[in-house]
Amino acid sequence: MPGPDGARRLSVVRQKLRITFGSRKQASISGHSHVPTSTGTAVQKAAQEHRQHDVRVFDDEGKDVTPHPLFHPDPKPAASKQSKLLALSDSSRATGSVFLPFSMYQTSEEEGSSAAPHSRTSESSRISKSTMSITESMLDGIAAPGSLQDTAVSSPDVQVRREEIKEQVTEEDLDKRVDIYLTETETLWMLDLPPVVVSVESEDAARVLERNKMYVDVCKNRPGNDRFVEKTMQTINGAAKNKEVQCDKIIMEDKGIVVTTWDLYDSFNTSQVEPTSKAEGSRAQAEKKSTSDMTKDEATPAAAERGSITPTTILESAGLARVHEEEKCHTEATLRSENFQQHLFFMERILMENIFQPKLAAYRQFPVLTDPVVALGAGSTSAAIKEAEQEEHDKEEMDKEEQKEMLSDPSILSELNKTSDEMVPPTLEQLWSYRCDLTHQHNVSSMAWSKVNLDLLAVGYGAFDFKEQKEGLACCWSLKNPMWPERIFHCEHGVTALDFSMAIPNLLAVGMYSGIIVVYNVQSSDSTTEFHSGECSAKHKGPVWQLKWVEWDTGTIGGPKRERLISISADGRITQWLIQEGLGCIDLMKIKRTRSKRKNLPAEKEGKSKALISQWAAGICFDFHPKDTNLYLAGTEEGLIHKCSRSCNKQFLKTYRGHKGPVYKVAWNPFTTDTFLSCSVDWSVILWHQNSQTPILTFSSTTTVVHDIMWSPKSAFTFAAASESRVEIWDLSTSILDPVITRSADPEAKFTSVLFAKNTDCLLVGDSRGEVSVFELQDLAASSSAEVDALSDVIGPALFPVAK
Amino acid sequence: MELGLRGAMGACVTTFLSGPCKAEVEETLKRIQRAKGVQGVIVVNPGGIPIRSNMDHTTTIQYVGLMNSLIMMARSAVRNIDPRNDLSVLRVRSKKNEIILVPENDYLLIIIQNINA
Repeated sequence: MPGPDGARRLSVVRQKLRITFGSRKQASISGHSHVPTSTGTAVQKAAQEHRQHDVRVFDDEGKDVTPHPLFHPDPKPAASKQSKLLALSDSSRATGSVFLPFSMYQTSEEEGSSAAPHSRTSESSRISKSTMSITESMLDGIAAPGSLQDTAVSSPDVQVRREEIKEQVTEEDLDKRVDIYLTETETLWMLDLPPVVVSVESEDAARVLERNKMYVDVCKNRPGNDRFVEKTMQTINGAAKNKEVQCDKIIMEDKGIVVTTWDLYDSFNTSQVEPTSKAEGSRAQAEKKSTSDMTKDEATPAAAERGSITPTTILESAGLARVHEEEKCHTEATLRSENFQQHLFFMERILMENIFQPKLAAYRQFPVLTDPVVALGAGSTSAAIKEAEQEEHDKEEMDKEEQKEMLSDPSILSELNKTSDEMVPPTLEQLWSYRCDLTHQHNVSSMAWSKVNLDLLAVGYGAFDFKEQKEGLACCWSLKNPMWPERIFHCEHGVTALDFSMAIPNLLAVGMYSGIIVVYNVQSSDSTTEFHSGECSAKHKGPVWQLKWVEWDTGTIGGPKRERLISISADGRITQWLIQEGLGCIDLMKIKRTRSKRKNLPAEKEGKSKALISQWAAGICFDFHPKDTNLYLAGTEEGLIHKCSRSCNKQFLKTYRGHKGPVYKVAWNPFTTDTFLSCSVDWSVILWHQNSQTPILTFSSTTTVVHDIMWSPKSAFTFAAASESRVEIWDLSTSILDPVITRSADPEAKFTSVLFAKNTDCLLVGDSRGEVSVFELQDLAASSSAEVDALSDVIGPALFPVAK
Repeated sequence: MELGLRGAMGACVTTFLSGPCKAEVEETLKRIQRAKGVQGVIVVNPGGIPIRSNMDHTTTIQYVGLMNSLIMMARSAVRNIDPRNDLSVLRVRSKKNEIILVPENDYLLIIIQNINA
């Protein structure tokens, strides 16, 4: 077999395959690749094409810059390899093996010639292969059986492959003159089938004939001959061997989870919050304990976050004690936390609501359901100030429940009892009373509603007598908790007057027996005062008997109203306090008094001439006119009532004489603004008309001091009077001689103050035991302000005799 | 400046600390316990251990154990509707009494009140 180097070398431009096996025919150069299908090859007859190229690269100078092959094959095995290659390719051709189609696909890229191994006989095949890919695949295919492959054969092809990669085609190369030499490869024997036909004339003919004859004889003798035995054979079945393998049981666990919406939400959020919270948790831990393990840090933030302590098994013995300590710290912290306190606060309110629910319903004037099993609405969670809507909502929800059984509590009278036939006399029904241990020993001196929140009540506790002076108290009570006040302000002296501001609703002004006026901010629960008149040089020297915040116009019509704190005290001064600050600001500033009005009260000698004033008479009460804020009344210790004006601070406009003792209270009628009421130590209550200096009507139904009076905000005819032994409700449209309702006090208690509730038909009465009782006015004849003129009808007849 | 810091008659006036002092919390707890009809007050820590209770141990443990699952159900129900919402107070009113629960992260507050008394 001619060796692989029978081919002549070429200097070629294009990449060419150097096939090292010979062929019979000349190979033609194909600058292109064509891809005949394996089926289309004329396997036996096609002229083979062989190409044999040696790839050599020459640069322009003619230097041989052929890249050296990386692999140098051994020539000898190459020949055998070739045959094997041929054989394989033969078989592959025949069967259409994998290699050829595979390589066919790759020929499209490569340009190159194909050289076909050819058979020894005339059979030849035409296979066009791609240059490297096909040989590569063939070689690979050859390598796969693994048995016949010798790398030697592949080497030239490998070399070819390498060289091809490095060749570049340049423009000039295209125009070059190319010399191509063709050679013939050696003969490849592909198949050798020796003939089985012999000529008769050859020398072997006789022998062959004889042998043929013998064979025929044998065939004839075969059946029935003992020498021919049929024998069957069975292939050996391999003995089957069973092999069993047993593995450990795979433990399966079922885990199911019900995915809830909040679970998804939480997981999503914690994945974002996790890095920060972990840092916080570990920091918190570092503060508490100095030494802590890493696992400890993990355990306790988890405890803080989700509320479940997961004891890690590592910490069994050592850390357990520390865990307990931490828990103790935790409990201390929780018990002290603001959150806990607030929840206790709510809880208390919930309980109070449970306890007082029927009473509160009555207060709100809902029809009282006598069912103790009434289901309540949602618990109260609102802050102290905005309570009203929540209460009503709860009550409404409750009212929709149906009744089941009568309450055995006798104190509740259902309004359904009211029959239309007979007139039920009006009564006062006690609902509850604001009291606690703290206020037990004190005397209620004054009460005031908050201007904004009509359920917030301020009560001042202090004694009236000089002898009984002790520390006073000002408490703010809320409707939602009748058993403990919301705010407790301790005052150094007895509280004698207090009032809520209108412009700044959280300011509470308190006047004391010592003459000091302080202003508290009820939003804070400590007793620090916003303003204190102690340092003021012009402070009162006597007890402040009444305080009021009064608004008046600044002068321009429709302009902002200015609010001033007005006080009257026993040193004879009615003082206006100016809280110097920006509007709405609650900065701590001094109270500055801008204008002080001094009253020169005439000594009660003759009453006719206004002599020079030498001393001040003690003022006890005052009241500004509801419509004309320039005008006000002042009651004094002498029993006189003066009508004064703000514009004139030296003289009175009018003086009303009628009382024989100190006037404790004056009150303008809020509807008919010409009349006013006054009460005094002389057991009487007098109704005046401002034009007349003598009393219009006198109501003397008690034999004790009348401490307090108040007009009802709902009716022009109704007012309440608190004398020591009883509280009376007068209705002038019904009777001017007797009160319509009287309520006696407990023997040891004395009623000292009254207050009407604005949003409901209730009356609050304070007594000397520190209790403020809430009474519901039942069956009182309702009257509207449209009947205001009727009041003048009522008092008209009384006027005439006087108006002379 | 006026002093107002006399702690007369058991009222605790807070000083300038932020947050309530322990005495105020105690005071409120006592008031709640004294309120009309209150049968029991239990404060439970996150581990399920009652740290404060005015009932006997058996009853306390029984309440705590029963309420926990109830709270979980209620909370799950509320949060399923809106995950941003959360349970604040749970009140269970029965014929004889009312159980008020305030579940929080750090504690659980249980109060049992007899409403018929």
